[in-house]
Amino acid sequence: MPKLTIDELRKMRESAKKEIYLREGEFKGKVIVHMGTCGIAAGARAIMSAFLDEIDNRGITDIMFTSTGCAGLCSEEPMVTIEMEGSAPVRYGKLTPDKAKRIFDDHIINGDVVKEFVVGIGSERVG
Amino acid sequence: MAKKKRIEVMACAGTGCVSGGAFQIIDALEKELTAHGLIDEISIVPTGCNGFCGQGPLMVVIPDNIFYGWLTLDAIPHLVEEHFLKGRPVQKLMFTPPEEKEPFPLLSDIPFFRKQLLVVLRNKGIIDPEKIEDYVARDGYTALEKVLSSMPPDTVIGEISKSGLRGRGGAGFPTGTKWEIARKQEKTPRYLIANCDEGDPGAYMDRSVLESDPHSVIEGMSIAAYAIGSSDGFIYVRSEYPLAIERMKTALSQAREYGLLGSSILDSGFDFDIEIREGSGAFVCGEETSLIHSIEGDIPEPRQRPPFPAQSGLWGCPTVINNVETLANVPVIITRGSEWYSNIGTETSKGTKIFSLVGKINNTGLIEVPMGINLRDVVYEIGGGIPNGKEFKAVQTGGPSGGCIPASMLDSPIDYESLVEAGSMMGSGGMIVMDEDTCVVDVSKFFIQFTNDESCGKCVACRDGSEALLEVLDRIAGGEGREGDVEFLEELGAAVKDASMCGLGQTLPNPVLSTLNYFRDEYEAHVNEKRCPALVCRDMIQYYIDPDKCVGCLKCLKNCPTEAIMGELKYVHIIEQDKCSKCGQCLEECPPKISAVIKVTGNDMDSLEQLTEIVACAERKN
Amino acid sequence: MQHSTTSDERVGAALVVGGGIGGMQAALDLAEAGIKVYLVDNKPSIGGVMSQLDKTFPTNDCAMCTMAPRLVEIGRHKDIEKITLSEIESVTGQPGNFRVHLRKQPRYVDETKCTGCGACVENCPTRNEVQLVELGRTELAPQHQEEVLGILERHRDRKGPLMPILQDVNVAFNYFPENVLRFISQETGYPLTHINRIATFYSAFSLKPIGKHVINLCMGTACYVRGAGILLEKFSEALNIGVGETTEDMLFTFKSVRCIGCCGLAPVMMTGDDVYGKLQTKDIPDIIKKYRQAEQ
Repeated sequence: MPKLTIDELRKMRESAKKEIYLREGEFKGKVIVHMGTCGIAAGARAIMSAFLDEIDNRGITDIMFTSTGCAGLCSEEPMVTIEMEGSAPVRYGKLTPDKAKRIFDDHIINGDVVKEFVVGIGSERVG
Repeated sequence: MAKKKRIEVMACAGTGCVSGGAFQIIDALEKELTAHGLIDEISIVPTGCNGFCGQGPLMVVIPDNIFYGWLTLDAIPHLVEEHFLKGRPVQKLMFTPPEEKEPFPLLSDIPFFRKQLLVVLRNKGIIDPEKIEDYVARDGYTALEKVLSSMPPDTVIGEISKSGLRGRGGAGFPTGTKWEIARKQEKTPRYLIANCDEGDPGAYMDRSVLESDPHSVIEGMSIAAYAIGSSDGFIYVRSEYPLAIERMKTALSQAREYGLLGSSILDSGFDFDIEIREGSGAFVCGEETSLIHSIEGDIPEPRQRPPFPAQSGLWGCPTVINNVETLANVPVIITRGSEWYSNIGTETSKGTKIFSLVGKINNTGLIEVPMGINLRDVVYEIGGGIPNGKEFKAVQTGGPSGGCIPASMLDSPIDYESLVEAGSMMGSGGMIVMDEDTCVVDVSKFFIQFTNDESCGKCVACRDGSEALLEVLDRIAGGEGREGDVEFLEELGAAVKDASMCGLGQTLPNPVLSTLNYFRDEYEAHVNEKRCPALVCRDMIQYYIDPDKCVGCLKCLKNCPTEAIMGELKYVHIIEQDKCSKCGQCLEECPPKISAVIKVTGNDMDSLEQLTEIVACAERKN
Repeated sequence: MQHSTTSDERVGAALVVGGGIGGMQAALDLAEAGIKVYLVDNKPSIGGVMSQLDKTFPTNDCAMCTMAPRLVEIGRHKDIEKITLSEIESVTGQPGNFRVHLRKQPRYVDETKCTGCGACVENCPTRNEVQLVELGRTELAPQHQEEVLGILERHRDRKGPLMPILQDVNVAFNYFPENVLRFISQETGYPLTHINRIATFYSAFSLKPIGKHVINLCMGTACYVRGAGILLEKFSEALNIGVGETTEDMLFTFKSVRCIGCCGLAPVMMTGDDVYGKLQTKDIPDIIKKYRQAEQ
């Protein structure tokens, strides 16, 4: 490998940062895919891949992507919950990869909730 | 490019976890993930020491930041299926403090981590120490970039001086000043040495830094070398740290490959390279003049200072020797500025310090805290208190050169000056917690034995002084203490302190003197009453079986190595004192619910002697 | 001890071994008591170490002032016979009647005639030339050859090569065979005495062969307060050897080390790359068995 110049080092840093963004812990939003048995059976895996592809294609690093168990509303699976900073969590149901792409564009990028797929807004009361 | 990962598993691969089987667990995890077809979306990153060594082997799942400890091979299939496949974090693998019922799932919630401030260990558990890309991504080598492109050496030294950074090896000499002295010497070449001969028993932060973030040390060294005008660096590592040496070698070759070491680094005309030198098990080599002799291939005995190594060191040339932790601070100070750095800590002690919190404490591990934090927070908040509901007795800091800090001083801040005032010292940062079951005479004896072994023998005060101290301590612990022994220890300790040549001898009486200061009554109990209040010193204790509690289960009887226990099933057992070797096995064996085996000392021994006589014709238990 | 049998054959003479300050004083005291004294020393002259010192600890007395009067007195005393350049070969007999055989090195100067004028010393043509003893070259044993030559070659151009060389040799053979040290001395120019001092200074080095598995029991503080002291005894018992010793079958060497940095797992031991944490006395037999079985 040829020796680095300062510019090359900077470039290398930029690309390396994309590799480890998960670990930085600075996210403005969170996508939670419900992956209980019911969710997986209904195709949650495909939804997850669709979201991951979107994140990858756009080089987005400030959205945290995680999975959780069954939300208790199995008929609506596959579901995702999207929590953007400063607003209530929004839960979408009966998703397909195409719907997922739209939600990604409208909600995550532009901040508009895609009302037609929404199951509920806000979270259950705890306690 | 590989597919984007949704989860990263930061599996600790520090020495502590590795010895607990971390590599086998990583293999099992990889196999399990492959079996479930998850290997494309989940990556496993072996990291350096996470710090919470008492919970090892451990891992942190990112981005959720869920902490799993005490992993076993059996737990892996369940973990993969539940957490990674179904997204349900596994509660029983999470950290639960002894007195709580509910586990703390998130790393950031665990008190052990919450109170810490990471500067030196900023990358611990976040990067793969064997990948330079990970370090670079965490703004690694930005400081070197900044220094080489825009800061003349004097500015660098000025910045380090302004930050207030002091040597983390123990004595706390201002780093900027040291560099300046070396830079002012006319003689060339100048050398830079990173001291990782971490010999203090109970301290392992330098090892951890090398294992978890070797590039931060390389970057720190490069900056230091640039500042003092050196092009040859050495890292002196103990041979007891094979993993650290391995990782450092990998890091060095990566840095060379990228031209971050070698000639004209980053096209700046600055040349620098680093060589690893290994120690071979001699404590005194941590002393800087000994270390220099060791590298030269000379007898590693210390020599008189001045001249200081910064004036005349390796092969008679100006040499800066910095501790590994000190050097790992340097890149952060350069990147974030001296002002930011000097805001952390106290008036005279700036920044953070890594401590290894070990001994009788719930959460053992490595912690990094701001200077000036008080001991209580460290022991009770971060450390989670003393196990088994025992009473806190003292903290030993500074290793064999330090002293004990008693409970009455729990609220004093931790910085260089306060510790010296308390009769101890910062040292390399070992913090050994002792509970009520620890005998100060025994501990002092241990340390003096250590320094007596490790004394190089060059000067009389240290060689013979430690011998004499040990003899008296042995006598006291052996129940043969004489009147005047305690005073003699004090007098001799002070003499050794005054008359020794190097740091080893000058500080070796500290463990004795500080415990004499705070726990004099215990010494006196040993001497005058032949009693060991902590029930440790073997010649002063006896083991007894409480006839009221013993259920006659035969457990202790079967496991006694000297067959000193008499009894039969369901009959009260009795220890024959003249056969007992006082190994304590019976105490270990007696079920906690019963706890019939007890230790006694001093006058109690006599009264129990009679008691045994009476129960010798033991009655049958139901 | 029984002295009675030969009491009537007692000899009124004593032999003092070593002509240092202690030996000199003893000889004088005995001679003053009327006993004939033979003062033996293996050096060409009496005086011992003190003759090399300027001051003595702890009083800072002048060494020569202490010694000179005694030297003169011994020289003059008619009852003291100095036997220099001599080693004791054997001692037989019993208290009161010993027979001692000495071997005296040649002095090449007739002692009865020499007055110690110093003229020959002044006029010796090779006086200031160092006279080296011809030792002959050291050759390596065949089984060491390849490794040692490779190691020396690797570090040839290094500054301060001794430590790395010794470390590599230690890794290769587990200990320092004497011949190898001699060979290193010959090749690197470091005096053998210097190499020996280094080789005995570090605890990781050994001059004796060590066992295949080195059991390093950590005696760091954290391990100590968690009971490593008892483990030490138990290991010693189980292996039937003391600390620093090797079992007869050359399988185990037992060492206690200073902190291997696994304090979180205290008490710990390390054997090769294997680390055993949170050790209890009852684990010991299994650990030893494991290595014994692997051997079979």
